[in-house]
Amino acid sequence: MSTVAVPDRAEARGSLRRRPWVAALGKLAYREGFGVLLLVTLFLFIVGPMLSVILWAFAVRWQYPSLVPNAFGFRFWTETFRRADILSAIPQSITITVVATALSALVSLPASYALARLRFPGRQFLLLSFLATNAFPRFGLYITIAVVFFRLNLIGTVPGVILIQVVNTLLLMIWIPTAAFRSVDRSLEEAALNVGASRLRVFVRITLPLVFPAIAAAVLLSVVNVFYEAQASLIIGLPNVRTVPVLMYSLTNNQLVVQYGAVLMFVTWIPSLILLGFSQRFLRGRYFAAGFGV
Amino acid sequence: MPTTAQIPASPGSRRLISALGGYGMVLPAFLLMVAIIAYPAVLSIIQTLTTGVDGRATGFTLAQYLFFFHDRLSMTNLLYTLRVGFIVLAVLLVVCFPIALYLRFSHSKLTSAVYILALFPLFVPTINLSFAMIRFTTTHGLLDTLLSRAGLVHYVTPYLRTSGTIIGLVWEGIPFTVLILNAARVQVDDSLLESARDVGASIPQVFLRILLPLIKNAVIIILALQFLGILGSYTIPYLLGPAEPEMIGVFMERTYDQVHAPLQAQTQAVISFFIAAIAGILYVRTVASQQRRTEGR
Repeated sequence: MSTVAVPDRAEARGSLRRRPWVAALGKLAYREGFGVLLLVTLFLFIVGPMLSVILWAFAVRWQYPSLVPNAFGFRFWTETFRRADILSAIPQSITITVVATALSALVSLPASYALARLRFPGRQFLLLSFLATNAFPRFGLYITIAVVFFRLNLIGTVPGVILIQVVNTLLLMIWIPTAAFRSVDRSLEEAALNVGASRLRVFVRITLPLVFPAIAAAVLLSVVNVFYEAQASLIIGLPNVRTVPVLMYSLTNNQLVVQYGAVLMFVTWIPSLILLGFSQRFLRGRYFAAGFGV
Repeated sequence: MPTTAQIPASPGSRRLISALGGYGMVLPAFLLMVAIIAYPAVLSIIQTLTTGVDGRATGFTLAQYLFFFHDRLSMTNLLYTLRVGFIVLAVLLVVCFPIALYLRFSHSKLTSAVYILALFPLFVPTINLSFAMIRFTTTHGLLDTLLSRAGLVHYVTPYLRTSGTIIGLVWEGIPFTVLILNAARVQVDDSLLESARDVGASIPQVFLRILLPLIKNAVIIILALQFLGILGSYTIPYLLGPAEPEMIGVFMERTYDQVHAPLQAQTQAVISFFIAAIAGILYVRTVASQQRRTEGR
């Protein structure tokens, strides 16, 4: 029996080697071993957690040791969006995000233009001073702010949460546009001025289009930052203001039904993923690091 | 007859107008920051230094701080925070340098996939990450299931353990670290690295002797900001970590909200400021020196 089996196996091995995709895969593993290893590890570590939440969002029942949910369905979607706390948190989060980003843009964009283009004493100090928002441990800062806000009756109010979110976005709203305004080629503007264009016209027609991508990116980042910010909203907003991320704390800790949190996370997370698509080109650019003051 | 706009202003008065305009445009943002960041921080420093343990205002006193440093729970939590912080920083460097080097030296098509995966956590909010990490790593979670399918049945979940906090903080720190390392690396002249490779230097040699000294500033910024981030973190240690010992952020929140001792919480916050000050100063100084260099260019 075994004498028959030996050539068989050898043949099988030979045919396997002849298949081009096996050879290609082998070559890839040899040449790109490190890359493949890195990719697989990162995929498991980074995508794995997200994948399990997405599966949970569409699960009706999921019991160990099943690798995927035992039953899929949208039953928990209707239940999730019948919960009063979720129905009130979503509009509240959107309002806070829109108002805070608008206010932040209103105070930050003129500042970034001035810091990049106008000459005045103390300019460098003012630019660097905005790093202070990053140079404190966040949570300690929120505690000290909460003590002040408590006296001003801002705890548990929407204006209180908006104020702290505006300050949270100042650094990226100032530094990213400042870097962009600085990199505008002055000779373009001067050429336009020389042929008789007014300063306003030069600003609107030449400067603004050049810095627009950076400003748009700063606004998008600020929207995402504010919408998902949880720590400041928790300490300043409670007990009256419950944004989506603040609600997520209780859906994570005190909720036996996993699906409520999974569905809410899936739904509110989509904007962030769309942003990932939009900003891919921007991420390769150098302005992004400017948001951290680099 | 020329309109006023067409009369050329003297250079001096134009400079004055430009300066006034500059202050006018920057001051609203600056004052907002002073009112909401600097004022509360300074106020907390003053209050904690002028209030006795009984809560009554006194002259200058260190009572609040003496209490903290003699309190066993406070000290345990503080040292625990520092220990977790250093472990996370070490893990981040060990994980992210190979990724950054791979992105630089490989010509493979896999690099863009690795880059996108490494930056992906940037687009996952902290609270969502914590929720996802719990679902993924909990006992009988997806990871446990996968491992038991592969025959590894002795899975111990990191959830509610220190390793849970560390994994969460590393997850959150990866994109920033890779991003800054990559941005710094882009500024390094490629021909320098190539010529070193041409004369036979190995990748670790190129890294240690040429690349690392050139991107020193970026590494300082990464370490400083990540350290500040860890010291000021709340969500990840609160949701993923153990109930005891606590990271300083969780400890502060509990002291403020549940123990109702705002002054003690302020003291803890101020102590975290002072520990972070080293990192904060390093960060600002490094960025400032980089700014001066770009100004001069």
